Amino acid sequence: MELLVLIKPVPDPDTRLRPNAAGTALDTDGVKWVLTGYDESAVEQALLLKESAPGSRVRAIAFGPAPRTEEILRSALALGCDTATWVEQPSGLVPDPMLSANALSWACQKTPFDLLVVGKQALDDEAGVVGPAVAERLGVADYGPVVDLRWDPAAGKFNLARAVEGGLERITASGPMVVCLQQAWNDPRTAKLQNVLKARRTTIDKVSWAEVQAGVGPAVPGTRLTSFRLPPPRTGAKMIAFKTPEEAAQQLVRLLREEAKTLP
Amino acid sequence: MVDFSLTEEQKSLQDLARKFAKTEMLPVAAACDRAGRFPEDVYRKAWELGLMNLNVPTEYGGSGLSVFDQCVIVEELAHACGGMTTSIIANCLALEPILLGGTEEQRKRTLPAFCSSYHLASFCLTEPSGGSDAGGLQTRCRLDGDHYVLDGEKCFITNAPHASLYTVFATIDPALRHKGITAFFVPRAAEGVVPGKDEEKMGHRASSTSTVKFDHVRVPLADRLGAEGDGFSLAMRTLDHTRTPIGALATGIAQAAIDYAADYSLKRHTFGKPIGEHQAIQLKLANMAQEVHAARLLTWHAAWLIDGGQRGSLESSIAKCFASDAAMKVADDAIQIFGGYGYMKDYPVEKLLRDAKLTQIYEGSNEIQRIVIARELLTHYA
Repeated sequence: MELLVLIKPVPDPDTRLRPNAAGTALDTDGVKWVLTGYDESAVEQALLLKESAPGSRVRAIAFGPAPRTEEILRSALALGCDTATWVEQPSGLVPDPMLSANALSWACQKTPFDLLVVGKQALDDEAGVVGPAVAERLGVADYGPVVDLRWDPAAGKFNLARAVEGGLERITASGPMVVCLQQAWNDPRTAKLQNVLKARRTTIDKVSWAEVQAGVGPAVPGTRLTSFRLPPPRTGAKMIAFKTPEEAAQQLVRLLREEAKTLP
Repeated sequence: MVDFSLTEEQKSLQDLARKFAKTEMLPVAAACDRAGRFPEDVYRKAWELGLMNLNVPTEYGGSGLSVFDQCVIVEELAHACGGMTTSIIANCLALEPILLGGTEEQRKRTLPAFCSSYHLASFCLTEPSGGSDAGGLQTRCRLDGDHYVLDGEKCFITNAPHASLYTVFATIDPALRHKGITAFFVPRAAEGVVPGKDEEKMGHRASSTSTVKFDHVRVPLADRLGAEGDGFSLAMRTLDHTRTPIGALATGIAQAAIDYAADYSLKRHTFGKPIGEHQAIQLKLANMAQEVHAARLLTWHAAWLIDGGQRGSLESSIAKCFASDAAMKVADDAIQIFGGYGYMKDYPVEKLLRDAKLTQIYEGSNEIQRIVIARELLTHYA
């Protein structure tokens, strides 16, 4: 089985994040870029499928600027992906999700695959566009948000479960297809030390920006981030004075109902 | 050109160790400290990731890392728990005499077992009568045909109750002092090997420490490391390699102290502002930062020398001594910044002081390190 997994470098959630001086984007100075969140779950799922179908191979593909994109591809290789493709993003270009999807789909169509897994959204912009848009570009079906995904070797099909309002929808489907995964319903593994060292020596395939443009036409972002702000600091914490836990609970419920109006 | 930056490979190793420390060690560190629990599940995971036999070459299945790379990893682990780190790196200390003094046959016979499945080894040098006076050890080895017979007792042996192999230093004749010391490796399963009960310690409570008795233990001649009388030199060369990572371990504890204290200083308010805005606290933080920065660079320098093929006795002594003293000072300052809360076990900084204390004592007390440093210094003036 040929598996592709799309990943993206995102700011380490432990980094202290702040807007740039103009308030138009994230200040990337000092930000550590990592493979985490939905993407980490997607890599884990691709590796689990690979292990359940001997002879399978996983290729990680990422679109982004150097060197952060190469670093997260090496993280994916260290976890167990077999090969990696870096789709070059020129410095200065600020892509929107559709542009990213176009660039990634160009890299994906170079590699025949049975299944393409992708986080249902990236941990940073949470746009949720890339998975469905890549599927559209490639002309294959897409399913999401998927919370369970298994390979049935006897039937030669995938069994998957989609989270829908109030329940699960179970689907049997054949590849090639795109699956957009919910976060953390698997337990992402930690890379072994020897694999971390080995991943540093693995050659990463590169798809140049010129090649992307030749393939998908002049790539210009269709949307632009105009403002980027941190949420206002929280104020107005109210301490409840109480003698017994029951009294504290009663007061809390009363305040939630009468003042915060979050309870009916 | 001198370069103080980590390579991308070293940064990857640092990330791996940091992640392991944060997700596997830190969540259980306080509870293990309180209960004196040896978290074998954590150690097994460390082994699975390749964090345990860092110095064993890859040809025997180990990680085959340089001393510098070991230091990078050890600092990150110790940031979460000094005690667990001591237990995780104890194999490096115990197996180093086999790496340095063993024949190829001996290495092939012993090392792969530690890399193909989870096993612990212990380094047995210190005795109840003394640790620093290694030339004066009392454990006897007597040749009897094609075997030696070992008799004696070792103490303060890390991981001893859980180890499957001991590297043991004994003397053919105490009167010969360091010239009589001979090294062996002895399986736990050998008759007459008796590890004692786990000691109750001030710090490093997630690590396990006990005595080991050798009662008429018969050790095949083939399990002697080097020649008779080579043991003292082997022990010293071993410690030259492992002393520097202890500097890194102390640096990790000290860095944790700064991280907790600096964060707290911005959250705790007195006199209408965060205490981090009071100069009294700022001066303390500045001193702490200097101590840790110097400790890290001294450690890196010693490691760099050793990896370059130099013995580095002087520099590794300086690094270990300075970094462990720094860890004590910085942990003490962190407690002071936390005030009364710092003295409470509900907060993480008092553990750092208790863990830091051992780094001034083990792997050569800081008094011994200072004697080494002074002697080396004086040779340039004699």
